[in-house]
Amino acid sequence: MVKAGLSQIQRRHLVCFLFTLPALAVVFVFFLFPMLRALLFSFTNWDGIARTYQWVGLKNFEAVVADSVFKQIVFNTFYLAIIYVPVLNVVALLLAVGIYNAGKAGNVYRAMLFFPNLLSMTVIGMIWNIIYRYDGLLNQFLNAIGLKILIQDWLGQVNTVLPAMSVTIIWFAVGYYLLIYLAGLNTVPVEIYESAEVEGVSSWQKLVRITIPLIAPSITINAVLSTIGIITLFDLPFVLTRGGPGFKSQTIAMHVYAYAFQQLRTSYALALAVILGGFAILITALELNLLRRREEVAR
Amino acid sequence: MRSKHLLGYRRRARVGVNVVMVLIVLLLVMPLWYVLNNAFKVEREILRRPLVLLPSAMTLDSVARSFVAMKYPRCFMNSAIVLVLSCGFLLSLGSLAAFGIAMANTRFLNTVYVVLVAMITLPFQLAMVPLIFLLKGLGLINSYLGIALVYTGWFMPFIIFLYTGFIRTVPKELEEAGRVDGCGLLRSFVSIYAPLLKPITGTVLILRGVPIWNDLLVPIITISRSTMSTLPLKLYSFIGTPGSTAIRWNLVFGSTFIVSLPILLVFLFLQRYFVRGVAAGAIKG
Repeated sequence: MVKAGLSQIQRRHLVCFLFTLPALAVVFVFFLFPMLRALLFSFTNWDGIARTYQWVGLKNFEAVVADSVFKQIVFNTFYLAIIYVPVLNVVALLLAVGIYNAGKAGNVYRAMLFFPNLLSMTVIGMIWNIIYRYDGLLNQFLNAIGLKILIQDWLGQVNTVLPAMSVTIIWFAVGYYLLIYLAGLNTVPVEIYESAEVEGVSSWQKLVRITIPLIAPSITINAVLSTIGIITLFDLPFVLTRGGPGFKSQTIAMHVYAYAFQQLRTSYALALAVILGGFAILITALELNLLRRREEVAR
Repeated sequence: MRSKHLLGYRRRARVGVNVVMVLIVLLLVMPLWYVLNNAFKVEREILRRPLVLLPSAMTLDSVARSFVAMKYPRCFMNSAIVLVLSCGFLLSLGSLAAFGIAMANTRFLNTVYVVLVAMITLPFQLAMVPLIFLLKGLGLINSYLGIALVYTGWFMPFIIFLYTGFIRTVPKELEEAGRVDGCGLLRSFVSIYAPLLKPITGTVLILRGVPIWNDLLVPIITISRSTMSTLPLKLYSFIGTPGSTAIRWNLVFGSTFIVSLPILLVFLFLQRYFVRGVAAGAIKG
């Protein structure tokens, strides 16, 4: 009797395992296995076609780091991340607070600010490329409001291309992140704000002392999501500038593609992809660690 | 007395907030208006007074020309097939796997689950290069199935994560009751659990269906035949990065508009589901 019961549980576990098999098989063959191969082959001279390859140690990594563009693409990637993550999160949070306090019209604002996030990044890249042109909308606007001195080729210059790109990415992403902040705000009991108002607490104080500590989990989620997002982002910068002028707006994620499919240097692409993966894991872990600790302090 | 004062203060604050928000929204929506307006202008008026609507100069000419020139119906079908196949795999295999993980609660499957969750944050670029060689070896380049399998492998960990979280909130008694009535696990998945998964399925479709529909990276590396192009890939190869070369502005604006049109229509009708979907996904995360 006992034995029969045990085998029934075992059979149940077996059925459950079989349920997971089709999904796990696809994940393994089309995601995990290629990743493990990338990791392994980044230490070899495998070119993707020849059947034989040799172990070359760190040679590919050394070659990638020594490549003249390496410093530039690492700088660009971190420059974008360092502007993008804080600015995006501050703007998204402020807009979410605005929508939260706007009453019924808030739904309309929310829909209009979220919509760009549903468009293809190919579309966004094209629209903003036209806006930033020398004869584009931005310069026409600056001309109209009398700021002629600011008129310039925004995407064609070394010192304006990355800030301009950041603005576009923030414009695209902000609607998504503000929805997460709004969901966080809706979990805060209204009574807290009401009693704060009776006490005569200023709006700024409410934001800093009440809202931010209470929605700390949303801040953690958004910070981590936006960091991973910007580090691995490909479509939008690829269409907006193709990395130009020169390599002045090329990111690591874009350069993996360039090595693999434009320059046909497979082993370089693998080594750079491994470096990118390393950065992504390291930064996510650090950020989670830091923000989770902050969350606990806030409570 | 005091509460009356407070009410007045709140009303004034609300008006102030709305004024600021309207200005911000107008500014941020301007790029969209820019495209919409110029997509419907006669060619010689495009970009002259770019934000001013000129009803006298309106035409469907750019839209119609772009529709023909980029072979829109074919690309739309390609995009739709990729979307349906990918989401079909993700929803069916993902929910079944999540059900297995949630019901078994064995150490092995729990470990598998933790590994899957850890995989969510890994960049696609890490798998990209060996993946392409694998697809070439399997004859899955220029193939709907190939693209769909790439998206399925890439997004499956996240989908399983969402479904498992959801199924774990469903009382276990439900399955136990089914078992008493002689339901096997598969029966209780299909007839008891699957109907309960509707809301989370909506979330899944929004959080991963939209990125699949819009994606450029996977099509650009797996599709070389122009008859297989998805809408974003076609737009990219059709217009490219609008550089300094002679630009057919009517085609630029027309094609940008028609590529965006399907998602605009879907959003107009299903707006609240989108908003709810993103929020629900974030809380799970």
